[in-house]
Amino acid sequence: MDLVLLLQRIFDALFNSAIYSSLALALVIIFRSTGLLNFAQGEMATFTAYIAFVLLSGPQPRLTGGGLAGLVPGVPFPIPLAIIGAVVCGMVGGAVTERALIRPLERAPDLALVNITIGVLLATNSLMGQWWGTGPRVFPAVFPSGAGQNFTILGARLRYSTIGVWAVLLAVLVLLILLLRQTRTGLAFRAVSISHANAELVGVRVGTTLMYGWALASGFGALAACLSANSVLLEPNMMLRVLVYAFAAATLGGLDSPKGALIGGLIIGLSQTLIPAYVPFIGFELSVLPALLAMVAILLVRPAGLYGTKRIERV
Amino acid sequence: MVDDVFDEVGLKVENLHASYGAVEVLRGLDFEVPAKNVSVILGANGAGKTTTLRAICNMCNTSGTVTLGDRDISRTGTAEIVRQGMVHVPQGRGTFPELSTMDNLMVGAYTRKDNEIKDDVDRWFEIFPVLGERSSQMAGSLSGGEQQMLAVARALMARPRLLLLDEPSLGLAPLIIEDLFDRFITLNKETGLTMLIVEQNANLALDMADYAYVIESGEIALHGTSDQLKNDPAVQEAYLGA
Ligand SMILES: Nc1ncnc2c1ncn2[C@@H]1O[C@H](COP(=O)(O)OP(=O)(O)OP(=O)(O)O)[C@@H](O)[C@H]1O
Ligand SMILES: [Mg+2]
Repeated sequence: MDLVLLLQRIFDALFNSAIYSSLALALVIIFRSTGLLNFAQGEMATFTAYIAFVLLSGPQPRLTGGGLAGLVPGVPFPIPLAIIGAVVCGMVGGAVTERALIRPLERAPDLALVNITIGVLLATNSLMGQWWGTGPRVFPAVFPSGAGQNFTILGARLRYSTIGVWAVLLAVLVLLILLLRQTRTGLAFRAVSISHANAELVGVRVGTTLMYGWALASGFGALAACLSANSVLLEPNMMLRVLVYAFAAATLGGLDSPKGALIGGLIIGLSQTLIPAYVPFIGFELSVLPALLAMVAILLVRPAGLYGTKRIERV
Repeated sequence: MVDDVFDEVGLKVENLHASYGAVEVLRGLDFEVPAKNVSVILGANGAGKTTTLRAICNMCNTSGTVTLGDRDISRTGTAEIVRQGMVHVPQGRGTFPELSTMDNLMVGAYTRKDNEIKDDVDRWFEIFPVLGERSSQMAGSLSGGEQQMLAVARALMARPRLLLLDEPSLGLAPLIIEDLFDRFITLNKETGLTMLIVEQNANLALDMADYAYVIESGEIALHGTSDQLKNDPAVQEAYLGA
């Protein structure tokens, strides 16, 4: 086996892994607090990538929202500022979605709410198609990613952009874990994740906490979309595939564990690249198959996922 | 013990109705919990005792008027009521099994902003040493009795002005129950904490309480000072096993 090639494939897979992990993180935050899988997570994220695109392009009459961008002082923004803008819009969008569509239906069965999120997925997707067209747009690279912009490690190329997305992902994950473990709001969030009724009984405003959870999750989604928009091209269906992989990553990580989302994203990203490369009868066209197999294999051994909370029951 | 932490607050309940779906469980309750007193609710299984406490905290469908101190809280949300100083230890304890003992106490103090939270934790660890020994253990893995202690300590971490307790003796060994009820009496005497306790153990409850109410089929059937009820032949027969 060519070890340099293996290392190269791993390095290549790491970029996608980071994207899957970020979106899985978003899914996990909402699942933990509400028990809901938000199918709209990917489309909401893509929407914010378009917002970043508008902020980057500045006033352009032929770009819907381009006119609106003219109202934002200082456009066109540099990339970091545009991404921050997208993340903030994502957070507001997440909070509004929770407030307007989920909370009024809090007594509805969970499955009905999941269907609502599928509705949001379709509506957001169509809206993007109508406003910005379905044709792909070139989103600028966030990190230097041209030819030769990489480190060479043992003969394999590790791109700066891969290091960049991982740095962002890990920083964000550390912040999230600190927030959950060290702050009063984090404690409230963990309490709400365990029991809404008991959280109310210690004075936690459950609705508000859930709204923050949606905001946080959508912020992560926005980050994931902006970081990947350059490599996959910005178009309304950009995150659809990513969402499927993120679901797989979140599931095998245990659905309610941030660490699980990270490891899950890694496993999915690596198996998606490595298995077709070394197992001849699985071509790259079938690259979703390894992800599925990895998910089934892990759930067989650990039904709660790698890091999922097993509800504590005394024996 | 700190003795000026609990203010005096009483509770007044007028024409309280509660229902689950179409089934009406409470049919117009009127009663009062005087400030700085211990009141107890007795009643058979299914009489509506738990529902009464839930209704007071707006945890189910209710109508009627509930006044806490001088504030009408009939339309106030559960979390808001807790913020106003009425804390409820529900039947089934209401602790968080997947949080550590310590985190359960910290989340109990969620509504507080003062800097004496750590002191209070230490105080409860002194009172219930077993909780201190298990401070980093998940609450769900504590024994039933330990969890009951945790539930009470968690509630008191909020420094309530009024404490609602739903069968605090449930599942505890007789010695522990006596110990726990001694604590309640001490708390009441030393801090003037107002309490409303639902209890199956009528002997114990009447010994501790100042006032008692008996609920039958969602209505107040009897009420009076605990001495009056202790000497009431009907109560003796139905609840005291005389
Ligand atoms: N969530 C619920 N949905 C429907 N009916 C309920 C619900 N909770 C209680 N009930 C009904 O309301 C009535 C009163 O219940 P409640 O729990 O208040 O009784 P209780 O006096 O606390 O009894 P126990 O001593 O057994 O705890 C019962 O007939 C019960 O079946
Ligand atoms: Mg009960």
